[in-house]
Amino acid sequence: MRQFLERVLHTLLVLWAVVTILFLMFRLMPGSPLAAYLNDNLSEEQQQLILQQFGLDRPLYEQYVIYLANLARGELGVSFFQRRPVVDILMEAFPNTIVLTLASLVVAYIFGVIAGAFLAWRRDTWIEKTAVPIVLAVRAAPEFWVGMVLLAVFGFGLGWLPSGGTNSPGAAYDSEIERFLSLDFLRHLALPMLTLAVYLQGLPLLLMRSNMLEVMHDEFVTMARMKGLSEWSIVIRHAARNALLPVLTAFTIGVGISVGGNVVVEVVFSWPGIGRLLVRAVSSLDYPLAQGAFLLIALVFITMNFIADMLYVLLDPRVSHARVA
Amino acid sequence: MSLLSISDLRVHYRAESGLTRAVDGVSFEVPEGQIVGLVGESGCGKTTVARAITGVMPQNAVIAGGRIVYRDRNLLELSRPEAKALRWREIAFIPQSAMNSLDPVYRVGAQVEEVLIARGGHDRRRAAARAVELFEMVGLDPGRLRDYPHQFSGGMRQRAAIAIALALNPKLVIADEPVTALDVIVQRQVLDTIKTLQARFQISVVLVTHDISVVAYACDQVVVMYAGQVVESGPAAAVLDRPVHPYTMGLYNAFPDMQSSAGMLVPIDGSPPDLSQPFAGCRFAPRCPFARDDCRLSGVENRPCEPGHSAACVRAAEAHQLRAAAREPATWLRS
Amino acid sequence: MPASLEQAARRGESLTLWPRVREAAVALLRQTGRDPFAVVGVTIYAAFAVIALLADVIATHDPLEIQFLASGKLAANQRPGAAFLLGTTSLGRDIFSQLVYGTRSALFVGLSAATVVASLGTLVGLVAGYFGGRIDAALMRIADIALSLPFLPFVIVLSAFLGPSIYNVIVAVALLLWPNTGRVIRSQVLSLRERAYVEAARVTGASTWRILFVHIAPNILPLSFLYGSIAIGWAILTEASVSFLGFGSSDVVSWGYMLQDAFTSQALSRGQYNWFVPPGLCIVLVVVAGFFISRGYEEVFFPKLRD
Repeated sequence: MRQFLERVLHTLLVLWAVVTILFLMFRLMPGSPLAAYLNDNLSEEQQQLILQQFGLDRPLYEQYVIYLANLARGELGVSFFQRRPVVDILMEAFPNTIVLTLASLVVAYIFGVIAGAFLAWRRDTWIEKTAVPIVLAVRAAPEFWVGMVLLAVFGFGLGWLPSGGTNSPGAAYDSEIERFLSLDFLRHLALPMLTLAVYLQGLPLLLMRSNMLEVMHDEFVTMARMKGLSEWSIVIRHAARNALLPVLTAFTIGVGISVGGNVVVEVVFSWPGIGRLLVRAVSSLDYPLAQGAFLLIALVFITMNFIADMLYVLLDPRVSHARVA
Repeated sequence: MSLLSISDLRVHYRAESGLTRAVDGVSFEVPEGQIVGLVGESGCGKTTVARAITGVMPQNAVIAGGRIVYRDRNLLELSRPEAKALRWREIAFIPQSAMNSLDPVYRVGAQVEEVLIARGGHDRRRAAARAVELFEMVGLDPGRLRDYPHQFSGGMRQRAAIAIALALNPKLVIADEPVTALDVIVQRQVLDTIKTLQARFQISVVLVTHDISVVAYACDQVVVMYAGQVVESGPAAAVLDRPVHPYTMGLYNAFPDMQSSAGMLVPIDGSPPDLSQPFAGCRFAPRCPFARDDCRLSGVENRPCEPGHSAACVRAAEAHQLRAAAREPATWLRS
Repeated sequence: MPASLEQAARRGESLTLWPRVREAAVALLRQTGRDPFAVVGVTIYAAFAVIALLADVIATHDPLEIQFLASGKLAANQRPGAAFLLGTTSLGRDIFSQLVYGTRSALFVGLSAATVVASLGTLVGLVAGYFGGRIDAALMRIADIALSLPFLPFVIVLSAFLGPSIYNVIVAVALLLWPNTGRVIRSQVLSLRERAYVEAARVTGASTWRILFVHIAPNILPLSFLYGSIAIGWAILTEASVSFLGFGSSDVVSWGYMLQDAFTSQALSRGQYNWFVPPGLCIVLVVVAGFFISRGYEEVFFPKLRD
């Protein structure tokens, strides 16, 4: 329990620090949107409105207090260019990012875990010796470049899959769920998902492989052999169950990393998610939107790190019972 | 009548640097219902012999020759399914470090039940009942079946390992240094448990240890190994009372008695030979205070010196005098 | 290695940093030589270094100059051939020459970011590990916070605000990557400061900074080099992403710039693989070379997984 509270406290501290860094970055940086904003071509009336809303005319520390108070109320302001509340815009884009992230992570981890366990089982064969450098090379490839190549081949070259967006023009759906399950959406999802999965599979594969190799040398695996348990039971019930722990943690952290790391892939495939929103907001100096998008990405990242820590405690009896023993 | 008979067993380990002859022509018998102590320094091949009996060897191990006959069947010639059928139902294993031999992510009870269900044909309910019975048998509170391995103390884990080993009523139990990691008082308690259960169920036990006092405390028979070979074997009482091989004499000086802690400990100087090199003569000769020149030229087989007791030493006939000299610490101290 | 130092410290002999740096570098190279992966990695680095140095000789054209055909027409979208080894861009620039000059900026970004990351990380690790206490706690907190910023979004925002420049990418990468190095160095220092020769130096009255830089620092240099070599790949990847998103400098030819140029000029729909495949492959080669050299890649990229 104490451990848990410490983690919570630490996470809150980090969150506060990130929020503060963001505040300073957006107000103090040379070339910050604030400067651009003050002499830009918005109407006098709009300027006054937003000035008051964000307290931009007050001293820095007062601005900071207002900023924190606004955040606490979930108030992120109004986009300069879309003239809509930032929260609304974020909530429209967020599901697209989450669906893309989760779909690619699930595909990558299922493949990675199975392939990693397979390579561990086939250690020191030519398959393993060639596969590991290839996996490393794939991980070294910039995601957006992999996306470009796949797009050129399957989107433009062969014409099998659409080249961007989430849905064909004119498509209408009753609900978000229905939209995500439509064939049209899935066809649009395929290429960006594949691009991300190609990159993401490397980590679970390498982790699973090295964990399995380690666990297969553990005494309890030898004991399982001596007990005459089936190979399936040895590999799956004992070795894989133990090797999987760090992979699950990696998955959770991976969700946090990908929500921000997807940026380039969302741009390549014109995927209307948080990452593309951030890039657009930053290039157009839409300061409230950029700040909101960055905050959301950071929040997901920090939360997933926290959950990963907790998950590890939950799944590993050695850690979860440490305070009992 | 022997339950297990090992003859001329040879096991090699392949490595990049070459072949290590870890077990080089080992023979001994395990009589029904007795505890046989397999004793020697680390690296003498005793654990390799134990693992060869269980049939689960490291990947780089090669059985280069010999026979392991269990109830008239050579274990080395069994097909995979035949060998697997014997495992745990007939031949069980108690590991040295029960901490690492229990899967950390499952409750101890689940691991007792696992073998009962997977190998003993029990259903869940009967397995659970049997697990309680086994825990009581080895002196553990059945309430702790719901604990995870890391919540157990060293002695408790060792008892749990014994419970798991006895789950399917095996005829033969191989115990690899079962008490080495424990302190002396717990060692005694765990050995007592093994002895009691062994007598009650008429099990044969091969007890691997580097500690000759454990042999003195628990074993009926003893096999002393040195550098991959048997140097002396026979009834524990005879071998410990009247050791014939200087190595056995030296081992006896090197460990405290489990009953009384009197006497000075004198280690044997030097270290065992490199098993990847060829040998000439007696393998113990370089460390033996009684070695003669001819010892280094030709060794000698493990041959009878009194009924049931054999030793591999050319000076076996002078054992009486050598024993007297071996009791003097000065004999073992090199200048 | 520590033994000779210990003797030196006991004799009160003065040690200079430089021979120790050289010794550490040699030790690292020797270690590298035993690992075939690392040999491949070093060879790739060496090859790119030669290309970068001799870019003026190797390149067939000015990378930004617009080329014309003999007929006087703009040499746009040429297929690979004798005149233009890898063809030309939609604006008639020579792709092969861009690739060659891109090596220069890639190595510049990679090496300078790596140098900053390794020095900053080493310095923080040394100070935190050696002094401990509040300084240590504060520095490690800062490291935690730096690691809690989402990497690419932070770099994007920072390079957008600081303006398009290759230096800003280096600053952004350095700001976020030093904690990995810092943490590892710190734990190494924690064990080193208890060693006998450090104790000996302390007893003989050596100053704190002297102990830190003369007795401890040389022993952690191999680690600093290792972490630096990983940062090279990261920096190059990051520069490519930032340039691709259009926040890079437009007057420096980099592989990321080439890819952005290709992407926005519809090279994909025209199937101009000769334009966008080579720069990507070059990035893969340089980054994978870093992976090969430092086999501890996963621990480095995801230090949280180890905790």
